Amino acid sequence: MPTVLVEKDRCKGCGLCVSACPSHVLAMSSEINARGYFFPLVEHPDDCTGCRYCVLVCPDLAIQVENKGKTTAPPEALTEKPMHYCPGCTHGVIHRLVAEAIDGLGVRERTVGIAPVGCSVLAYEYFNVDMHEASHGRAAAVATGIKRARPDLIVFAYQGDGDLASIGMAETIHAANRGEKITVIFVNNAIYGMTGGQMAPTTMPGQVASTCPLGRDVTLAGYPIRMVELLKELKTPAYLTRVSVHDPKAIMQARAAIKKAFQHQVNGTCYSFVEVLSTCPTGWGLQPHEACDWLRDNMMPYYPLGEFKTPEKGVVKETER
Amino acid sequence: MAKKLMKGCEAIGEAAVQAGCRLFFGYPITPQNEIPEYLSARLPQVGGTFVQAESEVAASNMLYGASGAGCRCLTSSSSPGISLMMEGVSYIAASELPVVIVNIMRGGPGLGGILPSQSDYLQATKGGGHGDYRCLVLAPSTVQEAADLVMDAFDLADKYRNPVLVLGDGLIGQMMEPVEFKRSTRLEDLPAKSWATTGCKGRERNIINSLYLDPEVLEAHNWKLVRKYEEMARTECRHEFWSPHGDADVLFVAYGSVARIAKTAIDALAEKGVKAALFRPITLFPFPGDALEKAAARVKHVLVSELSTGQMLEDVRFHLGKHRPVSFYGRVGGVIMTPDELVAEALKLAGKAG
Repeated sequence: MPTVLVEKDRCKGCGLCVSACPSHVLAMSSEINARGYFFPLVEHPDDCTGCRYCVLVCPDLAIQVENKGKTTAPPEALTEKPMHYCPGCTHGVIHRLVAEAIDGLGVRERTVGIAPVGCSVLAYEYFNVDMHEASHGRAAAVATGIKRARPDLIVFAYQGDGDLASIGMAETIHAANRGEKITVIFVNNAIYGMTGGQMAPTTMPGQVASTCPLGRDVTLAGYPIRMVELLKELKTPAYLTRVSVHDPKAIMQARAAIKKAFQHQVNGTCYSFVEVLSTCPTGWGLQPHEACDWLRDNMMPYYPLGEFKTPEKGVVKETER
Repeated sequence: MAKKLMKGCEAIGEAAVQAGCRLFFGYPITPQNEIPEYLSARLPQVGGTFVQAESEVAASNMLYGASGAGCRCLTSSSSPGISLMMEGVSYIAASELPVVIVNIMRGGPGLGGILPSQSDYLQATKGGGHGDYRCLVLAPSTVQEAADLVMDAFDLADKYRNPVLVLGDGLIGQMMEPVEFKRSTRLEDLPAKSWATTGCKGRERNIINSLYLDPEVLEAHNWKLVRKYEEMARTECRHEFWSPHGDADVLFVAYGSVARIAKTAIDALAEKGVKAALFRPITLFPFPGDALEKAAARVKHVLVSELSTGQMLEDVRFHLGKHRPVSFYGRVGGVIMTPDELVAEALKLAGKAG
């Protein structure tokens, strides 16, 4: 019988596991853990089907599931350090997916990651690989330097929307256009998180942010930038895809896409870019589960998911995505 | 290797190759385009890589990545482009990475002009970007010296894990002179870099970083950098003292192209019965202040001359003290002083004018 194991002191009480569990196995505690957060209790262990949705959605790697003698385990490409992200922020989920791809391809010992400036500025503390901290927006340039110096290394840049689509737009487009054999993980949560919720280049029309208190006015700030759509127009071959991490199914698709992106680099095929729609419960002023719903209802219609370009097919038609 | 007639910029490019540099990242700007042009053809011949970056900002950050990965790498630019590179240079200095940067200076500020200048002295020697840091700065006066100093620059960058700036001007970059490449570094002889991001196989992971959120840790890091600069000052100061006519009354202090003009002026002055000498800093940071003090102690007049409105002048005055009068003669905007102008200045000082 499957067993849910909660490492309660890693938990930040976001409750995403409780929402994600299709069998209502979990419920939040009324006590707090050592860090001051409520945490999930395994209320109905007999109902667990071993689906591992709770493991998938937990941004803090606080849950594992034991089933048929096998236990899920955090990837080796992540350190054990608890992450600093706000409760319910999906950066932690994306970190895990990237680490799983690195482990899955057996390249951890020849990988170099580039940490950005933004919420994930401390990513170098979490990825258990050689890391290089870039200045704001320049991750693609730093990645270019490393990859050109050492083409045998697997080089990935992990960047947020302000970093990649605003201040780092030139570096992003030109690295893609040169066809640098790097992998870019672009975390789009439609806001500047670290600096306190300012408008991002990807903030939705009408979305309130601390520098657009009345909502993004597209007549003044323009429309949110769709990076994958922009990059697909470049003639250079590339793997360009957009995924989301707002629910377990989306996370599984994101996991496959991120692995595919790294596989292209391992094969030396092309530049690879994965835009991951992510939540910012703090910046959006929503509960973590509400943020997931908001992403689905507001971001996904504007930022459609799917593969936009592959080295095999070139630009993928909308009907085939 | 036999002597070859080469343009300064091309000699700089070849010197980098001979020093074991296999990576160049840069963006076109006059008057240094012959460096990237030369290396775009030359580097592939030795298995190296040339990348024309989308901007100087990107170029400096590519350099940041490549040096982090443990490889000798070069960028070159001219004044406005160097300003754009300052972001990367600050991070490189903070992260203690070895890179070589060549600045073939042109007139400024702003877009300025494309003719030779020395108006980036303060930017080069006082940091240039944000934060407390210094680049080691070498100033060649001939094409041969440019080649020699570029080779030394790579060794010094590795020794101190610090950016080294080769500060030339449009004259050095554009003129042709005979040059000999006195040594050739084999890649396998280069020092191992245990700190580089080369994949963590068989060791703890390496992190290249300049973020220190704990103020006391950041403070300690700043003082650690200062100790490195103090070590440079003790060990790396270089200068040329040129006094072919015996005990001098007038001491010219000049670097780069202006030092050559001063030498011509010094010979002309000897014919007019005025003995002059030249003190030429070769390292601008660390500044050879002690040697300057000694040279200045033996003369009546000190005359600083630069292609700026008086930038090195500040260092000269600092080292000689406020009680020591120091005269200045500068031309800017791409205008270069003639030897006659320097002769006239020296004659005024010596009380023998017109």
